[in-house]
Amino acid sequence: MSIIEGSVTIKGLVKFYGQHMALDGVDLDVPAGCCMVLLGPSGCGKSTLLKTINRLLPYDKGSIYLGQLPIEAFNPTELRRSMGYGIQGVGLFPHYTVAENIGIVPHLLKWSKARIDMRTEALMQLTELPVNYLAKYPKELSGGEAQRVGVARALAADPPILLMDEPFGAVDPLTREKLQTAFIDIQKQLKKTVLFVTHDVDEAARIGERIAIMQSGKVLKDAKPEAYLDKSLDPFIYRFLGREFPLSLLSRYTLNDFVAWAIKSHVIAAGTVANDGLQSLKSVLATMLTHEDTTYSMAVAKGSTESVSFESFRAFILEVTK
Amino acid sequence: MKIWRTCICFTLALILWVFFYDELVQVMQQWLPIRGKLLMRTPLYELAFQHMLLAGLTTAMSLITALTMAVMVRISSNPELESSLLSLATMGQSLPSAVIIALAVPVLGYGNGPVALALYLYGILPILRNAIAGFRMLPSAVVQAAKGMGMSGIQSLWYVDLPLIWPLVVAGLRTALVVNISAATIGATVGAGGLGVPIMAGIRTRDFILLFQGSGAVLLMALWADSLLNTWQHRRSY
Repeated sequence: MSIIEGSVTIKGLVKFYGQHMALDGVDLDVPAGCCMVLLGPSGCGKSTLLKTINRLLPYDKGSIYLGQLPIEAFNPTELRRSMGYGIQGVGLFPHYTVAENIGIVPHLLKWSKARIDMRTEALMQLTELPVNYLAKYPKELSGGEAQRVGVARALAADPPILLMDEPFGAVDPLTREKLQTAFIDIQKQLKKTVLFVTHDVDEAARIGERIAIMQSGKVLKDAKPEAYLDKSLDPFIYRFLGREFPLSLLSRYTLNDFVAWAIKSHVIAAGTVANDGLQSLKSVLATMLTHEDTTYSMAVAKGSTESVSFESFRAFILEVTK
Repeated sequence: MKIWRTCICFTLALILWVFFYDELVQVMQQWLPIRGKLLMRTPLYELAFQHMLLAGLTTAMSLITALTMAVMVRISSNPELESSLLSLATMGQSLPSAVIIALAVPVLGYGNGPVALALYLYGILPILRNAIAGFRMLPSAVVQAAKGMGMSGIQSLWYVDLPLIWPLVVAGLRTALVVNISAATIGATVGAGGLGVPIMAGIRTRDFILLFQGSGAVLLMALWADSLLNTWQHRRSY
């Protein structure tokens, strides 16, 4: 049983660094089980905000509540043990094996060895790492593998809240995409409250259940990703997200999502299953655009194909982003 | 592994030297200059053991002191603390041991006390310098991760910082111990035990054999300690 509840409520948070105002009255409400992405340019205060939540940094005014209790109600060390924390450099302990790294917080919480071992193995499965990696040392791991261990380590004590500070920033784009996919799957299974800091718009569009855009220490907007398609956006947000943002949103959906909708809307026959259903709609669009008559032929069971037109594709997009 | 083999060689050499030196001298009798029959009151191996204790225990005390100082520097927010502690340690090393011994005799009397003090003060600097450098070289991601996951200051030191700087600390310990093994010979001038005794006796009576008995043992002991700590230092590399 965790000592904290899963929801985070921040009101009027102010923090000064000398004369400079790092946080300028932040209001943010993260319900339990929600993956909230903190998106913004460098220096906007998103990392600072994250660090005030687990008391790594003090703040000057305002309040942070976890459920019904303010964070001051807890001893800082205990508080941090109830929250998973992932950072960009991962910070795996080089003198510990993967197993010892993952098991460190449970060890601090005085779990029994049997319980820790079981939990570690379950986490290796969850993060899709082979079990024989448990005896390896961090220097033997690739960047992506190390980051997966970092995620496993953050989840080890089964905390209700995860704080992630640009965790996938230090790897190449291909690995980053794989890590994001893995993270999305894990979040679907575990439904943790996640605060995820990033400056990468595509990453935010893929991962976030809600996106909070920050600038100069303030939260400008906090909404579902689809809401950012609204034409009447603040010009800064519009410029920051970029004109290609609608395409970034496409990577939230897979071909399977489209097929499910198409079947319901009687565009294709019931029971159709696409072979390559997990690919993102962004790549489906790319294929469509290079196809002669802008239809998409998907390979389905028994070697046959089904074609869908661009219009039905577009209808799906409009429907989903309403 | 090469390091292990060297260590075993020196261990054997030291043991042979301190236990069988007299036999060796007898065998070499015909090639050596004629000398009167000089017998040591204490057998060489007992002197060697005293010497080991003297150098070993004092250096261990230096280790504890240096580590405590380094941890104090790490924990404190006072930037002056580091330079003042380093200056103190430097003084401990730059004051000639002979001076420290001479000044300590009225206070600690004759015997092992004065030289123990000199060795203790001498050994602090190399270890302290390495420990402070080690703390500085810790990767910041590791330090941040330890704090962010809920380790208290002490837990962070115990689980993360100290184990990670340990190879560097052992390197400093190695320097301190090797020097202290040879420095401990000076204690014989004021009545300390150890391998300084045959050396001083050899100097006074101009007996090369006696001198060699002591200094050969000191040399082998220093090499032995060095290779021993070398194996310890290289057990884990990150």
